[in-house]
Amino acid sequence: MTFVLPIGPQHPALKEPEHFRVEVKGEEVVDVDVRLGYVHRGIERELARRSFARGLFLSQRVCGICTTHHGLCYCQAVEQLAGVEVPERAEYARTIMAELERIQSHLLWTGVAAHEIGFDTLFMLLWRDRELVMDLRELISGNRVHPSMETLGGVRWDIRPEHELKVERSLKKLEAEVKRYIDLFTSDRTILARCEGVGVLRRQDALELCAVGPTARGSGVPFDVRRDDPYAAYGELEFEVVTEEGQDVLARALVRLREIMESIEIIREAIEAMPKGALRARFPPEVPDGEAVARVEAPRGELLYYVMARGGDKPERVRIRTPTYANLASLKPMLVGSTIADVPIVLASIDPCFSCTDRITVVDVETGASKVVSKLELRRRTS
Amino acid sequence: MNSLDFLFAYFVFPGLLFAGVVGLLLGGIDRKLTGRMQNRVGPPIWQEFLDVGKLFSKEDITPSAAQGLIFTAAPLVALGSIVAIFLLLPVNSPRPALSSVADLIVIIYLLNIPAICAMLGGYSSACPFGVVGSGRYIAQLLGYELVFILAVLAAALRVGSLSVADVVAYQAGKGWLALQPRLLPAAVAAILAAQGKVLRVPFDIPEAETEIVHGPLTEYSGPKLALFRIAYDIEVFAVAALIVALFFGGPVAHTLDGIYVPGVVSFLIKCFALVLLTTCVRNICARLRIDQALKFFWTFAALLAFISLVSVL
Repeated sequence: MTFVLPIGPQHPALKEPEHFRVEVKGEEVVDVDVRLGYVHRGIERELARRSFARGLFLSQRVCGICTTHHGLCYCQAVEQLAGVEVPERAEYARTIMAELERIQSHLLWTGVAAHEIGFDTLFMLLWRDRELVMDLRELISGNRVHPSMETLGGVRWDIRPEHELKVERSLKKLEAEVKRYIDLFTSDRTILARCEGVGVLRRQDALELCAVGPTARGSGVPFDVRRDDPYAAYGELEFEVVTEEGQDVLARALVRLREIMESIEIIREAIEAMPKGALRARFPPEVPDGEAVARVEAPRGELLYYVMARGGDKPERVRIRTPTYANLASLKPMLVGSTIADVPIVLASIDPCFSCTDRITVVDVETGASKVVSKLELRRRTS
Repeated sequence: MNSLDFLFAYFVFPGLLFAGVVGLLLGGIDRKLTGRMQNRVGPPIWQEFLDVGKLFSKEDITPSAAQGLIFTAAPLVALGSIVAIFLLLPVNSPRPALSSVADLIVIIYLLNIPAICAMLGGYSSACPFGVVGSGRYIAQLLGYELVFILAVLAAALRVGSLSVADVVAYQAGKGWLALQPRLLPAAVAAILAAQGKVLRVPFDIPEAETEIVHGPLTEYSGPKLALFRIAYDIEVFAVAALIVALFFGGPVAHTLDGIYVPGVVSFLIKCFALVLLTTCVRNICARLRIDQALKFFWTFAALLAFISLVSVL
């Protein structure tokens, strides 16, 4: 006999309202349905009603965690439309800000994951260390959560020489802490018991279901927009794309933790290599006709903005494809066959950000509908 | 024992009032220590009193889909039975308020009533989380109870009596049972089982917050939840008290610098230390899955208890 266990729209495992209809037989999960649309905010429509300059602020507020990446992606698409070249120094400053964001997002995720498996002490300690990065963001931009660093044609604030010392000091502290967390995740018996072999997403499934970001890299798919389609200053920096072969929750956790180490190196490198020069180029008040697509590697995976303009100072249409949206389809093979106890950590393992994702209401998802959506996405991505 | 003495023992000392106050304080200390271990300030140690007081002032709700009678009776029975244990435990002197030839059996029986009440409450609440939580409760009960009973039996066999009073009296003469090499594994096993009994990480599986909200207690709110909270806090105290009485000497009266210190002081200090130990464990672990927990109890913990049992035979 099976019965339905509703995970969401209100459930302690989910930080945002979304409905997972989990069909269980005793403790075993037999089937999963995803129902989206609880936090639909009409953002794309609102973006089309605002001028480019004002739309930037809205795009930064699509997500509270990857705000820099949303702003960056929007800027890149609009700059492409307007044909504006961003100064070198601004590209480096954007890179540094984006990497700081990746660090704080991954620390936040690891904390949430620890909480999902009942390890609240680790959760608190990770969020304590996350404050180091938040302080750096505040130091550079004046804001902890929404730095609003990037602007059309460049960046708003400079990373000054006196910042560099403080950045280095915090990064050094963070590096030591993250090393400890990696050790913990690879050695603690209870963590291994809950993460190893749980929520397996086979490499083939990851490719077929178009998983992106750490979800894909945890299954051994070496896809990273920073390397494969370089933007900002990534083309000039040396870094490694972190992949793990484990294909399970532990692999995805390790990918994120190791990416923090990589991000720390990128920031150091970028500060070292940052050229002198202007911070922003002049941005024209009106943009010519055209379409543009920009993508960046947000902490959760590939983020895509499509902007279409018909002259004037407003976009005709903006489409945002968030990484969570691309990863939702991968949840099903991860969840079916696992147990109720594994559901929260597996759901968390794609680092879902639902309010960023909700565009349309997918009401009936018998078995295939979530896949149908992802195939549409696939077509757009490959074209 | 006349009825007035009995009422005093049940409601004041060592019963409801005493056990309730100590239990809630232990709960508060547990939360404070957890806060410090997690690099937080943590709530004040009297926070449990505030929480329970607030819950009592809330509206009393019984979900319309629930089976009202069982749903309401469960917290009352849970609290009543857990308080009754203190009549049988030697809190101040080796002689408990009530004693019989085989009170250990009664204590083990009564200690399980709160778990069974929570289970019934979960099943009667007509909530999917309650049902899943209750199922996990039963599974976990079968896990830790075996270990706990084996460990208690080992102590009882060593002393040759099923009366707690006799076990405490034996230790007063020959030292703590936990210090005897043959019974040390049993003491460790009993503490491990206690971690499962009081639902603390890594064994908070029936009430795993992120998985099944609050398990059997999901639908409970207001005064009924307050009763369960008090029963739970007293249960933590009772389990610690039983282990202290069986393995760590129970209450011992001292005379320090000519001042008489009653046995209840040393008893409380030992209980406190034991609760702190479980708090520390719960803060350095992740939650196990129910199958992993059962495997742990039935292999490692049961083996420890069994070694003791066989060696004292």
